[in-house]
Amino acid sequence: MDELPSEVDLLIIGTGFIESIISAAASRIGKSVLHLDPNDYYGNQWGSFNLQALLDYNPDPSEPCDFRNKSFSLKNFHYEWLMEDQKEDLLKNSRKFNIDLTPKLHYCRGDFVQLLITSNIARYSEFRSVTRILTWLNGQLELVPCSRSDVFASQKVSVVEKRVLMKLLTSLDDILDSENTHNFKKFLESRKLSDNLVTYVMAMAGATEHTSLGEGVKSVKRFLDSLGRFGKTPYLFSMYGSGEIAQAFCRLSAVFGGIYALNQQNLISLDSEDNRITSLTTTKQQIRAQNYVTSLEQCSEKFLRPVKINNYISRAILITNKSILPSEQEQLSFLIYPEGTERIINVFELGSLTGTCPKNYYLVHLTSKQVTTPQEDFKGALGNLFSGSDQPQIIFSCYFSIPETSDLDFENVPENLFLCPGPDNDLDYNSSIQKAREIFEKMYPDLEFLPRAPDPEEIIIGD
Amino acid sequence: MDDYKFLFKVVLVGNAGVGKTCLVRRFTQGLFPPGQGATIGVDFMIKTVDVGNEKVKLQIWDTAGQERFRSITQSYYRSAHALILVYDISCQPTFDCLPDWLREIEEYASSKVLRVLVGNKIDRDDREIPIQVGEEFAERHNMYFLETSAKESDNVERLFMQIAEDLMKQARMTNVPRYDPNSYNVDSSSQESSCCSRLT
Ligand SMILES: Nc1nc2c(ncn2[C@@H]2O[C@H](COP(=O)(O)OP(=O)(O)OP(=O)(O)O)[C@@H](O)[C@H]2O)c(=O)[nH]1
Ligand SMILES: [Mg+2]
Repeated sequence: MDELPSEVDLLIIGTGFIESIISAAASRIGKSVLHLDPNDYYGNQWGSFNLQALLDYNPDPSEPCDFRNKSFSLKNFHYEWLMEDQKEDLLKNSRKFNIDLTPKLHYCRGDFVQLLITSNIARYSEFRSVTRILTWLNGQLELVPCSRSDVFASQKVSVVEKRVLMKLLTSLDDILDSENTHNFKKFLESRKLSDNLVTYVMAMAGATEHTSLGEGVKSVKRFLDSLGRFGKTPYLFSMYGSGEIAQAFCRLSAVFGGIYALNQQNLISLDSEDNRITSLTTTKQQIRAQNYVTSLEQCSEKFLRPVKINNYISRAILITNKSILPSEQEQLSFLIYPEGTERIINVFELGSLTGTCPKNYYLVHLTSKQVTTPQEDFKGALGNLFSGSDQPQIIFSCYFSIPETSDLDFENVPENLFLCPGPDNDLDYNSSIQKAREIFEKMYPDLEFLPRAPDPEEIIIGD
Repeated sequence: MDDYKFLFKVVLVGNAGVGKTCLVRRFTQGLFPPGQGATIGVDFMIKTVDVGNEKVKLQIWDTAGQERFRSITQSYYRSAHALILVYDISCQPTFDCLPDWLREIEEYASSKVLRVLVGNKIDRDDREIPIQVGEEFAERHNMYFLETSAKESDNVERLFMQIAEDLMKQARMTNVPRYDPNSYNVDSSSQESSCCSRLT
């Protein structure tokens, strides 16, 4: 096999979402990029796995080395078969699963979709719209109306309320200036909306009882702004799982000359001198670069002080045998489940049309800020959604915690080393793209971030 | 408005240096690039061909060098209609790697994908893999087989035309282009009314 190049402009370690965007952006403007990953799969904690690969997933490889930082690996990883008799059938269909460690949605009019389009990366990916939004109210699932017509068609919203709500929604911009109350829910209640309506609007905002007015209004606005572009809701999901997205950026990087090597077990150290990284040493060679980018997970402890992780994201992955709210056509559901007063559990229920699970099964992702352990954090919700005789049954469940690293700061990081945090708890990728852009701009000020890639259609050869 | 009825995605895989890029360029541009290496910024090439009375558009994807260290993205294989696995008849190791490639194909490509094995560089006089050996391998794994020279333009046209014809046959039998109102390509072509899409 060839040797890796010994000198490049940018050396990247880790193929997570943020690293992959930086890679594409750098290759795109003509920088030579070498992109390595000690793992034999793309995506780090943003990756997708088939079922067998998920079972084989080992978040804590026994030998720590300079490129496996245990502080940042997944914690509490545990899976269980609740219906053993289905195991064989599911494992036979293992390949039909694309199970995200970090599933995300995209706002139809959000920055990310915009970036996909302007940079022409959209051509690598397909999306499905979320077909319905649900919330949990008074012990049952409720459809959240997603458009003016939905609101007006809803039996559960009175005519008077409809008027109040429309007025409210059309005047969101003014509200921020004119209202004194600082709590979003209190504000909604003060507008004499019924419990139902308050719950719907809270769901649109993904708000808890503690969400501030500013945050709440901003989120509702985002929700409403993304309506009416693709499908019936403001959200898109990536076909074959969110892990496709990081790969799409890697492909773009490669098309523009980026060199890729996964499964790099022979990395020894990043060497530094005078607060600069000078080279990467592998068992075979030394590689020099002007700049270095690594994921936290794959960065040596010596560059990361202090390490203090305060927050974790609780995750659960379930395979079930039917939808939480069966309907004639397969639905892609996003359930906003308020748990207590402080926490929202985001639940994605994905059917086979998303390319993430086989027919006749559903893949359910639960994500929430961690309070105790993933098992405990989701116990109430799972009890409500999956225990009745007419409710879906859980065939398989997998739990883990993702360290929340998006707001960590480190001291004395070498000046040409840029650190990429892992996944955050947001619904979408916005903050992560922001992070990638910031790092890009620090390395290459004044250069364009992901300009449009030429269209292959522009080089059509006919006969 | 495009005047083609069918669009097929064809992907090439195989070890570095076996001539994938040369095959694509020979077919789409009619030339044999003197220089080495992939062309920067070219993602896939398109060529429209006639099969019977129909215009068929072939979208031909090359590996962008990610095969060099066995790091092809899974999505490269997704929704491919045909897959061309290439080795170099003058280089035994490229043939020895075929089982690894097959494993990867089984893992990531659709089981329905049309698979073709190609031994390239038959213009060379230092052949290491006899034609029968390639044939047998292809037969054992249910693949079509063809030997080519991108340099001399031997069998290149035939390779892609054969693929286009077979895919057309398949498409006619199964009525492929299904319209799924819930899926989107987010490019400009998508309608607001649909539910799965490419973004444009
Ligand atoms: N003699 C001969 N040489 C060929 C033929 N096809 C390709 N080559 C040569 O083989 C080398 C590799 O060709 P490429 O088309 O770049 O190979 P590739 O499979 O795309 O490999 P990557 O570099 O990994 O992209 C080049 O030096 C070509 O000139 C052929 O049919 N005959
Ligand atoms: Mg090539």
